[in-house]
Amino acid sequence: MKKRLLFTLIILSTFACNKPADEVKQEGFDRKLMLTNYYDNLILPAFTTLETSTISMETAIKTLASTPTEGNLLAAQKAWEDTYLVWLKANAYNFGPTGEDGIKKGIAEEIGIFPVSESKIEANISSNKLTFNDFNRDNRGFLAVEYLIFDKAALNKLQVQNRRNYLLAVTENLKGFVTEAKKGWGAYKTDFVNKNGTDAGSSTSQLYNEFVKSYEAMKNFKLGLPLGLRAGQTQAEPTKVEGFYSGKSLKFIEAHFTTIENIYYGRGSADGLGFKEYLETVEGGKNLIASTEAQIAVIKNTLKAIPQATPMAEQIVKSPQGLVNLQTEMQKQTRFFKSDMSSVLGIAITFSSGDGD
Amino acid sequence: MMLFSTLRFWALGWIEDHFINTKCTFKYYGFEWVQILPPHFMYAIHTVMILASVGVLFGFFYRISAILLFLTFTYCQLIDLTYYLNHYYFVAIACLFMIFVPANRAFSLDIRWLKIKPVSHVSVWVINIFKLQIAIVYIFAGLAKINYEWLINALPLKIWLPAADALPFIGWLMKYKITPYVFSWAGMFYDTFIIFFLLNSKTRPFAYFTVIVFHAMTGLLFQIGVFPLVMIGATLLFFSDNFHEKLLNVLGWQEMSVHTNSPLNNNLLKYSLIAFFTFQLLFPWRYLLYTGNMFWTEQGYRFGWRVMLMEKAGTATFYVKDSKTGREGEVSNAEFLNNHQEKQMAMQPDMILQYAHFLKNHFAAKGVFKPSVRAEIFVTLNGKPSKLLIDPNLDLTQIKDSWTDKKWIINR
Repeated sequence: MKKRLLFTLIILSTFACNKPADEVKQEGFDRKLMLTNYYDNLILPAFTTLETSTISMETAIKTLASTPTEGNLLAAQKAWEDTYLVWLKANAYNFGPTGEDGIKKGIAEEIGIFPVSESKIEANISSNKLTFNDFNRDNRGFLAVEYLIFDKAALNKLQVQNRRNYLLAVTENLKGFVTEAKKGWGAYKTDFVNKNGTDAGSSTSQLYNEFVKSYEAMKNFKLGLPLGLRAGQTQAEPTKVEGFYSGKSLKFIEAHFTTIENIYYGRGSADGLGFKEYLETVEGGKNLIASTEAQIAVIKNTLKAIPQATPMAEQIVKSPQGLVNLQTEMQKQTRFFKSDMSSVLGIAITFSSGDGD
Repeated sequence: MMLFSTLRFWALGWIEDHFINTKCTFKYYGFEWVQILPPHFMYAIHTVMILASVGVLFGFFYRISAILLFLTFTYCQLIDLTYYLNHYYFVAIACLFMIFVPANRAFSLDIRWLKIKPVSHVSVWVINIFKLQIAIVYIFAGLAKINYEWLINALPLKIWLPAADALPFIGWLMKYKITPYVFSWAGMFYDTFIIFFLLNSKTRPFAYFTVIVFHAMTGLLFQIGVFPLVMIGATLLFFSDNFHEKLLNVLGWQEMSVHTNSPLNNNLLKYSLIAFFTFQLLFPWRYLLYTGNMFWTEQGYRFGWRVMLMEKAGTATFYVKDSKTGREGEVSNAEFLNNHQEKQMAMQPDMILQYAHFLKNHFAAKGVFKPSVRAEIFVTLNGKPSKLLIDPNLDLTQIKDSWTDKKWIINR
């Protein structure tokens, strides 16, 4: 047996020596380059712009809190919407510096929970409770700010000092997370790029798994749940859309989907190495690319067909068909992103040992 | 016979709590009655398992320890089908054997403290049942590799190996197109023939060297836990008594023991063993009784020593319908299953069926009237485009699992 092994090794090395490299070698793929692209062109820019944008939003909110006028309210709303759109470029990266760590959850759970609990927020306002050291996550974050500044009577209500205090505290709290995230990612490049395997815990595996999770969360909770398409629901629940108070839900879904698309392509300021390019080099990858991109096109068309002027929550009540179609088409995409892709790329999806033995 | 010390060592690493915070567990057919216990019981069972394995290792209250070890280990395997692994099955069988062998009769605390009569001889059948079992494992694993995908297409290794190109020492090998083919054929030859090289005293040292190399490689390449150690340890059994005595001498244990060829006199044990091995030899072939591609339907796949044979993954979406209102909703699997469970369930028909029945009961209790459950399941096998595994309009609650051919699996 040893001889046989040696023999095969000899054959192997003869092959390796005698033939031109491209004939004996796989096309190959340098995951380090891919990770570098993800880091330089997608992840770090996302958190950098998120930080800048959050700081401007904070300034606008401080102005509003000190002088609650119509103009200042509109400015704060605008700043919030801009920031939230930037947030949707960063919300898929719930690992590494923005992953779970002890009692701290991933960043999307810390500052991106919706729907928020109006009653919990109102209770905190009445008691002027401005700390966030409990386990609630639905009384804070971006969507709590939205609730406070997009309320139809926001200006009136903000005349109350407690409410302004809470608005400032929530903003401060989420800015803290954003600053920490930016700082963490800023120092994480070497770690991120060097964990270039495909095992559980490697950067490729973590990025991929969070990408799929983010996609599924979008489909299930931004569409399925408010549409009443989840098992056990007895009716649609339009108030559970993301961005209920601002009425920008559709725009947010579109932005979220664009992020998913960008991660798939490895597309930041320029289109670099991403999962797509990785797929091109593996067994069965080209087929999968074709199916994936055909379905991406279908989803985009379905999105386009949905009227933009009517808020999503209203459409859910009056004419949900376009949204239901979108959910259906997104569902069809799931398998390409989820099992097909992890399978051909050989990426670990769990921490438990082995699916074979 | 002290060579079992290596075997005993494995038992020490098996403490894991897959069994806490579980909402849904998948059962082995015929073992649906095995239930998960509350967390503190699970910890207690694992504690017993550890103590029992220590008992076996040091030969202290040996037989009781061996029985407890077998029972606790097997219980933990039976709780959830998700975690089925061939090497756990192998360990369970080895634990079962250990109950019946007199491994406490030399170098044991039973002798030192409990004054059990030591023996310096061990019957050859004791060693042989382990050897036979190991032979079964390897040869079946080798035969299973003799198929078109494995040998001609080098699948799934063609998928798995390039993903391992970042590994130290062997990563560079993965860049070559021929590597998966070499590994596929080498793996097949290794599994099928290694046992014969181990049996022959001349080739044994080489063979054992190969065992170490092979299992070290697979250990590096794949997430397969302790399997390489188990096999590297277990195959030590093939070495002669002389070798082990020398080893023991080196370790400073002076007492000698010699194999003798005393026959197995206990008829009950003898016929049980014959029955057991007949079962072992036949059971892996049961897939021949089913129609369709075994890799796709997984009928007769388990308990057949089919290891690392396919790359398979699925996405399973379940829909629960209220039969009064007609309202249908999509299930979020993550609400009920952990990642590992979801992954395993999404490609294995019997688990899909169990999950559908679990969902029916869950949502019936939540007030959905006579729920029907259907599932859209797309499975990819060895990197091929995914296809539907079952009819997406089929009400799974109307189907019961059995040994009969699962006709409802499509695209077979």
